[in-house]
Amino acid sequence: MNRSTGTYWLVVVITVAALVAVSENWPPDTDKWSDADVAVLRTLWIGSLGVLPPDPTNAVANDPRASELGHALFFDTRLSPSGTIACATCHRPELRFTDGMQKGRGVGQSKRNTPSIVGVAYSPWQYWDGRRDSQWAQALSPIEDAAEHGGNREHAVSAVTANDEFRQQYEAIFGLLPEPGDARGTDTAFANIGKAIAAYERLIMPGPSRFDHYVEAVLSGVEEQTLYSADEIAGLRLYIGKAACTQCHNGPLLTNYEFHNTGVLSFPGEVPDKGRAAGVRQVLADPFNCRGEFSDAADRSCAELEFARSGYEVLGAFRTPSLRNLEDTEPYMHKGQMFTLAEVLAHYNEAPLSMIGHNEAKPLGLNAVELMQLEAFLETLAAPLATDEKWLRPPGE
Amino acid sequence: MTRLLASSFAVLLLLATQAPQYAQAHGGVVEEEDLCVIKVNYLRGHFKIYQPLIDGHNEYCEDLPNATETVFVMEYLHDSLGEAAVDFRIIRDVTGKGRFARWEDVAEIDDLEAVTILYREPTVDPDVLTVIHDFKEEGDFIGIVTANVDGDQKIYRAVFPFEVGYTGLGYWPFFILLLLAIQLQYFFMSGRFKRWRENRAAAAVVALLLLCAPISGALADEWVSSRGVYTVSFESSLEPIEINQIHAWILHITSDGEPVTGASLAGSGGMPAHDHGMPTRPRVTAELGNGHYRLEGMRFHMGGDWEVSIEIKANGRTDTVVMTLAL
Repeated sequence: MNRSTGTYWLVVVITVAALVAVSENWPPDTDKWSDADVAVLRTLWIGSLGVLPPDPTNAVANDPRASELGHALFFDTRLSPSGTIACATCHRPELRFTDGMQKGRGVGQSKRNTPSIVGVAYSPWQYWDGRRDSQWAQALSPIEDAAEHGGNREHAVSAVTANDEFRQQYEAIFGLLPEPGDARGTDTAFANIGKAIAAYERLIMPGPSRFDHYVEAVLSGVEEQTLYSADEIAGLRLYIGKAACTQCHNGPLLTNYEFHNTGVLSFPGEVPDKGRAAGVRQVLADPFNCRGEFSDAADRSCAELEFARSGYEVLGAFRTPSLRNLEDTEPYMHKGQMFTLAEVLAHYNEAPLSMIGHNEAKPLGLNAVELMQLEAFLETLAAPLATDEKWLRPPGE
Repeated sequence: MTRLLASSFAVLLLLATQAPQYAQAHGGVVEEEDLCVIKVNYLRGHFKIYQPLIDGHNEYCEDLPNATETVFVMEYLHDSLGEAAVDFRIIRDVTGKGRFARWEDVAEIDDLEAVTILYREPTVDPDVLTVIHDFKEEGDFIGIVTANVDGDQKIYRAVFPFEVGYTGLGYWPFFILLLLAIQLQYFFMSGRFKRWRENRAAAAVVALLLLCAPISGALADEWVSSRGVYTVSFESSLEPIEINQIHAWILHITSDGEPVTGASLAGSGGMPAHDHGMPTRPRVTAELGNGHYRLEGMRFHMGGDWEVSIEIKANGRTDTVVMTLAL
């Protein structure tokens, strides 16, 4: 065998070997997940959402009578002195309890984007800046916010007292309503109004999405699935990998409910929002917090408050929102600065320096195709709520 | 003709090389290690100016390209600024001193209010000072930051002349160079500012962490402190440890096989790969005897490699252990 024949055979062997190698992986089997990937997918699956943890600060959290009263109060505009604003004015059930606006609008212009209440019973913190530590303490704030309900606790309690149905429902759960002028009694009744609203809000939960069905197929070892397109699979791969989304959007609600500075630009006409750095001071000073006299918690150690982080590290940081509410909740970010998912993804891809504090995110280096795939995956998270229809309408409608 | 071109180029070059020196000489705001620093007497702040409507996240140190909505940010490099009542004033530059204006020149102005275009009342901002102003016209301005430290006992000032908008051909080389400098600064600053703070605050801790990493990495459930004084293991109230759940640890500390009692412990934790700490501020809340200590307030908010560092002081011996865990 001369030299050139040897080279010829060598080339043939290499070519055949290469073809065999390629054909085994062609078309690329994007559906194969490693054991480590499967473990991550399981943590994101809605089936991993444990039972709703109790709210020890709210003795009526799981009382169906309180949920009924809270449901009525949530949709009732009489809690506002103008008779025009209810919780449901901004938290519109058909928009996953948001309002589609950059910033909420009650009787005036509120300061931030209206957050969804879907699934937030799992969150130790409420609001973008966590300035409340329970759903019931949160429910009280808009009532006394000059830009939202524009009222006060005296008005709210008298509104409940003046309505026979509310009064009967309230007194069956909490006992007698206070006499007018009883300041201490009014505070207690006001807290109880919040607790009833929270008992209703706890029922609002996300349902399984196409993503969850896909994970179920992966977990049960289905080889051939038709639930996800190649782009959606690639997007999911980016979500748990290169795009590092699970650093914050982790767990079955796709949020860690923690506070992160991601360098979002300030709202036009405003200085940059301090976010959690200010929110942590407010929650510690809130008389309706876990340690306060209106809390039903037997254990006053209130670990979340006790060990909350403050200072520069949480300057300009905001609570990670659940991605299970992406559908119908644009515009995005704490002041609704971004209108499309593409804008949001472009922002994280760039990870610019933050105007205040430190942007924790790092540039991702995703190309246009990858960004499109990631967006395709995020759209698979859309799903109807898991909550009975009757809770999504005003009572009796 | 060629000679004319060459000489005008030389003039431009001269202008260009001179320009950065001007920038260095702007009163109370100076560039240090790629960081724009405002000096309010000995109190220092990280100074940044934004024109978000036009320039997004672009940072400026003092001179501004456009007459538009402008956000001034001062992050404190000295905690006293967060406790002081700080006011912020911008005046039209009527001193005639331009870039070399000082407080003495400002003090000579008869009617300060008449030339003031923005005044923010003294306010205590514990986190950061932010001021917004919509510049309606281009021109020369002077910013004055006044800090009242310890009540009214001490008044510290920073005076920084700056320019809004660039007019005339003579400024173009300077403008281009400034843009270049800003781009470079943007490029370099991504890690610098953080490192700068950390270096000042926690150089020792970082060094310790680095020293300990190989030692602690080698062992599975027991960690030896950096100088080998203590051996630490822990038991979690949450088993296995899950993310986003607040929980407590019981630490067990021994030295030469003997339990360590009466130790004072200080803990912190974080993810070295992501440059951030824990979402909580955990603390040792009780000594349980026989070398056991309760560490409360533990919470990890994402999967990945975490480090929990505990400084142990007992019987006059101080050492730090770094425990690593993968979630």
